[in-house]
Amino acid sequence: MKTFTPPPIRPGIHPRSGLGYRIDHGMRSSVPCLFVFFVALVLSAPLNLPGQVELMPAVIMATIFLWSVFVPVFMPSIAVFMLGIWVDILSFGPAGVMLLLMLIVHGVALSGRYTLARVNFFVLWFVFGVVMVGVTALQWVLCSALALHIVEFLPFVFETVLAFGSFPVLYTGFVWTYRFVVNNADPS
Amino acid sequence: MPVSIQFRQALGKLVLPALILVACGVILLGKADRPLIGKLRMQTADLLAPAYGLVAWPQAKLRWLSGNLQDIRNLEAENIRLRAENVSLRHWYDVAAALADENAALKSNLHWIPDNAPAFVTGRVVRDTSGLYARAVLLAINPDTAVRKGGIALDGSGLVGRVTEVGKRSVRVLLITDSSSRLPVTLESSHAAAIMAGDNTALPRIIFYPQDNVPIEGERVVTNGEIESLPAGLPVGHVHYLRPGQPVVVPAAALDHIDILRIFDYEDSVSPPDAPGRVPLPNVGRTMSLPSQFQSHPDQGLHG
Repeated sequence: MKTFTPPPIRPGIHPRSGLGYRIDHGMRSSVPCLFVFFVALVLSAPLNLPGQVELMPAVIMATIFLWSVFVPVFMPSIAVFMLGIWVDILSFGPAGVMLLLMLIVHGVALSGRYTLARVNFFVLWFVFGVVMVGVTALQWVLCSALALHIVEFLPFVFETVLAFGSFPVLYTGFVWTYRFVVNNADPS
Repeated sequence: MPVSIQFRQALGKLVLPALILVACGVILLGKADRPLIGKLRMQTADLLAPAYGLVAWPQAKLRWLSGNLQDIRNLEAENIRLRAENVSLRHWYDVAAALADENAALKSNLHWIPDNAPAFVTGRVVRDTSGLYARAVLLAINPDTAVRKGGIALDGSGLVGRVTEVGKRSVRVLLITDSSSRLPVTLESSHAAAIMAGDNTALPRIIFYPQDNVPIEGERVVTNGEIESLPAGLPVGHVHYLRPGQPVVVPAAALDHIDILRIFDYEDSVSPPDAPGRVPLPNVGRTMSLPSQFQSHPDQGLHG
């Protein structure tokens, strides 16, 4: 008996799935994670940028949020976990806090993605801002609890504002990357 | 092994909660076993130290170049200032030479014991690991140099901090501005002892000073020989009042831009003699011996 195969969704010429193609596809689909990896590495180097310490969590959170909302295939939970460990090793803060926050942002984005992926950009921006406020407040509480004294609040406010402000830039970067780097490799 | 789609979906939903639980575990582990996390971070920093050095090198060059250009711009004014300063310095040189001679003569009369010259190593700061919660820098050192935990870091003009972690190729120096730094200091003019407490801002506070002998604005602050690894008399900075009743130390070292640090080893500089002032007990003689049935054997207890 002949088995039923569904017709291709987009008929046309398909690339051959050889080794070269697989490497290409793998590289393209690991771009989001590699981006976070290198952002953590570069922003921990002694560049003497103003606000460098606060910029790293801001950029990482926005990137994880965007990819988890729109293309969670390229930002799986386990990858977020690994990246969290990496960020934690590079930053000399209390161990595990950044890891937890990254997982929470990822989880929030995942659970709301069917709504968030359809809304207007400004609504998305606002939602991200709210998430960042919550996450940074949690970070402050955890840091204070682990250091056993109240740590200064202003750097955390700065971190939130920086994340909120850098979101549009990262969104543009995300759209560009998704269209021209990652999606080129999508065979379907 | 074939698994049903439902089972796989349920498993997929469980991954994130499990990972969040593991993250909480990591936080607890970091609190319970600080040395482990510190070791992991120092090893990574050791690996990355050469790369950080490569990043820091062009910056240092650029700063040098821009400084040079600025110097060239106000060469004339600088020359005039230097000439005036030179005249005054020449005068002070004569005074200092006379005083040094006098000092040497007096010391030789008093049988003065000279201080030990401390050993030191010099290294370049490769990374500022200051975060939201700490003020510290990472220093690249030669693998064969012996830098110990508790070493004292100084730059050209004053105290910078203490060595808290030692890796193979890098050491971490906790700055005096860190919120966990507490150092005993002496205020030079009022002769008061106080504690300099960092609070993650650029100006560490002065606390625990005597209330009848308050710090004077502008007086010099030097270290106090209270703790063993830190000798007395190292320059720290000078007193400044942010507002009445809140004295702070303006550090002499340029803490916002640390380039090169010297790590001094004062570990065995001054150690107190054993048990000072202890009165030896008189010899009591023989103690009363127990009856034979209560005498314990060396290999078994009193009760057998």
